[in-house]
Amino acid sequence: MTEGSAGPALEARGISKSFGGISALDGVDFDLIQGEVHALLGENGAGKTTLSNVLAGLYRADAGEVLVDGSPREFRTPSQAIAAGIGMVHQHFRLVEPMTVAENLHLGWEDTPKVCTRRGLAARARRFMDEIGLHVDPTAYIWQLSVGEQQRVEILRVLARGARILILDEPTAVLTAQETTELFDVLRRLVNGGRSVVFISHKLKEVLDVSDRITVLRRGVKELTRPTEGATIPELALLMTGESDEINVTHRKVDGKVALEISKVTARNDRDLIALREVDLSVREGEILGIAGVSGNGQTELAEVLAGMRMADHGSVHVGGQDLTNASARVVIDHGVGHIPEDRIGMGMVLPASVEDNAVLRHYRRDEFSTGIGLDRGAVTAFAERLVNVARVQTRSLDATVGELSGGNQQRLIAHREAAVADRVMIASQPTRGLDVLAAQEVQSTLLDLRDGGCAILLISDDLDEILLMSDRVAVMYEGKIVGVFDSADADRDKIGILMGGHQDASSLR
Amino acid sequence: MRSFRLERQLDLDPRRAALCRVAGALCALVLSALVLAVTGRNPAWILWQALDAIFSRQRGIEGVVLRAIPILMTALAVALSLRLRIWNIGSDGQFLAGAFAAVGVGINLNAPGWVMLLAMAAAGTLAGAVWILIPALARAYWGVNEIITTLLLNFVAVQLCAWAALGFWRDEGAWAIQSTEAIKDTLPKIPGTESLTIALLFPLVIAGVLWWVFRSTRAGYEIDMIGGNPKAAAFAGINVPRRVVAVMLVTGAIAGLGGMIQLAGSPGAQQLSAGFSAQYGLSGFIVAAIAAGSFLGLVVAGFLIAAMFFAGLVLQTRGLSVYIILALYGIILIGVAVGEMAARYRLVRAESEVVARRST
Amino acid sequence: MIFGLVDNALLSLVKVAIPASTVVVLCALGIMLAERVGVLNLGQEGLIGIGAVYAVIAATDWGVGSPWISMLVGMVAAATAGAIFAVVVVVFRANQVLAGLALAIGGIGLSNQLGVNRNGTPIRTLFAEINPGGRFTSNAFLETFFFHDPVVYVAYILLPAAFWFLLFRTRHGMNMKAVGENPASADAAGVNVTWARIGYSVAGASLAGAGGAYMVLSFTPMWAPDIARGRGWVALAVVIFGAWRPFRVVAGALLYGTMISLGMTAQARNWNLPFLGPRDLSFFLSMIPYLVTIVAILIPAGAARFGRRVRSTSAPAGLAVPYSREER
Repeated sequence: MTEGSAGPALEARGISKSFGGISALDGVDFDLIQGEVHALLGENGAGKTTLSNVLAGLYRADAGEVLVDGSPREFRTPSQAIAAGIGMVHQHFRLVEPMTVAENLHLGWEDTPKVCTRRGLAARARRFMDEIGLHVDPTAYIWQLSVGEQQRVEILRVLARGARILILDEPTAVLTAQETTELFDVLRRLVNGGRSVVFISHKLKEVLDVSDRITVLRRGVKELTRPTEGATIPELALLMTGESDEINVTHRKVDGKVALEISKVTARNDRDLIALREVDLSVREGEILGIAGVSGNGQTELAEVLAGMRMADHGSVHVGGQDLTNASARVVIDHGVGHIPEDRIGMGMVLPASVEDNAVLRHYRRDEFSTGIGLDRGAVTAFAERLVNVARVQTRSLDATVGELSGGNQQRLIAHREAAVADRVMIASQPTRGLDVLAAQEVQSTLLDLRDGGCAILLISDDLDEILLMSDRVAVMYEGKIVGVFDSADADRDKIGILMGGHQDASSLR
Repeated sequence: MRSFRLERQLDLDPRRAALCRVAGALCALVLSALVLAVTGRNPAWILWQALDAIFSRQRGIEGVVLRAIPILMTALAVALSLRLRIWNIGSDGQFLAGAFAAVGVGINLNAPGWVMLLAMAAAGTLAGAVWILIPALARAYWGVNEIITTLLLNFVAVQLCAWAALGFWRDEGAWAIQSTEAIKDTLPKIPGTESLTIALLFPLVIAGVLWWVFRSTRAGYEIDMIGGNPKAAAFAGINVPRRVVAVMLVTGAIAGLGGMIQLAGSPGAQQLSAGFSAQYGLSGFIVAAIAAGSFLGLVVAGFLIAAMFFAGLVLQTRGLSVYIILALYGIILIGVAVGEMAARYRLVRAESEVVARRST
Repeated sequence: MIFGLVDNALLSLVKVAIPASTVVVLCALGIMLAERVGVLNLGQEGLIGIGAVYAVIAATDWGVGSPWISMLVGMVAAATAGAIFAVVVVVFRANQVLAGLALAIGGIGLSNQLGVNRNGTPIRTLFAEINPGGRFTSNAFLETFFFHDPVVYVAYILLPAAFWFLLFRTRHGMNMKAVGENPASADAAGVNVTWARIGYSVAGASLAGAGGAYMVLSFTPMWAPDIARGRGWVALAVVIFGAWRPFRVVAGALLYGTMISLGMTAQARNWNLPFLGPRDLSFFLSMIPYLVTIVAILIPAGAARFGRRVRSTSAPAGLAVPYSREER
């Protein structure tokens, strides 16, 4: 780490920002010294992305100022921030999929020649990549690239604009372990070349690995800034979450009836590539089977097959002994399979509809709500009222649209709704993603209550801590295959981590 | 120093949205009144003339009602498809297809009166559904944009009716108007009126039925869920494509039935001529756009638009051209679109001072 | 001998079709530009009407001598209407379908109203056809293509070539395509989405106006109510058929025009088919273009379902979706 000139390369003072009346940032200060990797740590919703968007010119702060190399700057558009040397690589890539790597690199860039061809742009791109030392095929279309490669394009794009300050928003969320290591190498190289990096994450271990200083945000407020050296995980975790109590979970070895049997299931994803390869799993009544693995290894497709939303090419699925292979979503629901979907907004709810309507979305056909062709609105309202109370959903009324609710309240609604649907089996797919600690704990409690009531639960999560906490047995998924199954007693974090990264077992590493 | 900023709301209170749409339409009307005044016409005089023409005698009110019936039928068709967030721009074509089928049955079949009426109604309803079938299937299963497909079929329907009127069903005896032969059976009149038939009941009953469907049935709930988020509806176990096609067929059927009752229920309209449709589909669309889901609102808006239309026709004799009505329609529609957007925003105060806050 | 007859018939069809379709070509090119940046404008009928009526006003009331100036007047009028639409839809983010239909209805009403006293008044200042003379007059094939007025050549050759170059060979064009595909990404890259959308909408609207103006300044040299007669709607379909690429769009428009011309020729020449007399045939043929257009739209969608998805023929992903930077 090289010390820069007198002042910080980038500084933010007293930044506040709110959306629709909800405060996302409240008087936050932040500074970045030249040549350092400064980690911005916090849970989902802490305000990390909002702060970085303000720094990068995408949002305008309601209050506060931003200084670059000591002089205050106001960024009204992203291009002004880019001109000031600040480049942001977002969590959700800002790439244009039907265009090539070279085209994406040259998008909106003054240096791009006014008249150009695809081949010409590709050649320029290659020259630039040679300079920096980062390579991706410039003639490939974005949709053809892997996630790690797409991220590299994003980084290249930002560097091409002359960024001295890079802001990376949750860069490792979608990377494999190997790709993460490669990324850290790239960051070190860039920083040694005089650039500075803001590294946003919620993953404590990585933050300790790669950063020089750490700033912790919680609920829109800065908790602390300190050098990485000497920081410990428990200390940071406490600052991030504000509380240290976890729910108490007793694991058990279950040998009851098998409620969910998945046998040699093979399926393709939206790009027509094989996403599931002969997956074998079984879950017993009263048991939680957790599936560990980095997102993108087939978990999404597995959940969709089980929900009746995706066809399996081969294999079978049995629920309570009955064959539900490739059954429609409706049949799956009728057999008592609950499902907390990964895509809460896109699949789990109808945003413009009311809380009441969403509360019965999956089981409105049941006798308690339906007679003949009619829908008993009174019964629906009564159910919704009970659900909102039990689930502690904060909403101004049952008529309010679910779009108004916060993510945590939406998930509370969904979790309890699915609990009502789930007679025998519950599929929970990334159920606590993006939730604040309180909401996450409540969802986890709901699942545990279901388990205790005899339900078989398949828990899919990219949060290994959650898996280890909740599961009675743990299966590891990598590239569409189940590469290991453990009882909770034998579930070792390191062993599982290795399997998640694709290595066969510890001994093969030496 | 406080400054103001527009902030987008996440929710949309339906009452507020409705008010904003109406406000938008009203603002647009006021604006057009100003424009009229500037170009040398007196808007107040026009309004007075219009009200006088409508309310001074029974024939005026009946004239409005007569225009309202077909407008309401097409409006109901469009409103139903809008619940699915699907734009049926082809209600004109389905209307014409219904009239075409009804004429076909009416002049080629011989049976006692009420049988004829039933047969014509059935033919009209079926024809309307057939007319929307291809766009419906294409949209539900292949994701093809329904705007263009339903629209193009409008033109085909117009040509088909012209062909019938001037070609294979032409009334050889008529010397003035070129049209098909007249059907002989008409709907029974409402006693006490000069020209109203029970045709009036159809849109009212259908509006009532649809209101009930969306309030108290499973089907109505499912339709709303599909309109709100088709993927979530599929997740909820609803067979989305099949349901979409079914609802769209009903939409076409309603418009087709509208064509039949226009044929059999309006005085002097018992034959199909080249100018039969007179833009009912367009007016129906505007009514549905203003109503935004409320069936009561649809009926009210339907009568209002019909009154505008009727006034425009009548005022032709007093020096005003019909085209102004079209221009007004356009302005109202823009007002509604802007109003709908305005409902999502509200003014918010923003602090622009930098306040010192705690820094650790 | 028969070949010669068929050949001549086809050529004369095409010769009539070319100027008649110029309206659709111009309008469709305008739609293509706007849709490339993600704006769907359904108000083409209104824009054509406005362009036509103002060209008529310029030529008759204002005594403008040059058809080019009259056309310019029409274009400016249509551009103004298009600008209002663009602001409503891009800045206020109102629903594009509603606003477009409003423009269509309102535009037809407005133009019909303005043209109310000019029905049938012949316009004398028209575009003059080029006469290359000499060798060109003797060959039927050449005659089909070389004797049109200059606007035809601008519409069929100059503009598509210019747009092709703009979209596929320049930095600006690449940025614009990005705006249509993914406005968020384009915005993040520093492209001004708002101005791009407004600018291209206005440009598209002025082209529709040019189409309308051309109509009254060449083959229909007088005003009539509803002068667009559905060509605006057809242009919308032609753009889909042409997969948003300039030359394919032109080809689609010409195809459509040829089919219409087929219908008109059938009527004029009293052609007969076994079951259909000349009048019947002309009605039947008048339906064909619309039916064929529908089939043409269905084909790529159906192929996409059954075969590999071909990326280059799908709509810009951000079409008709309002963009706001701060939307979460």
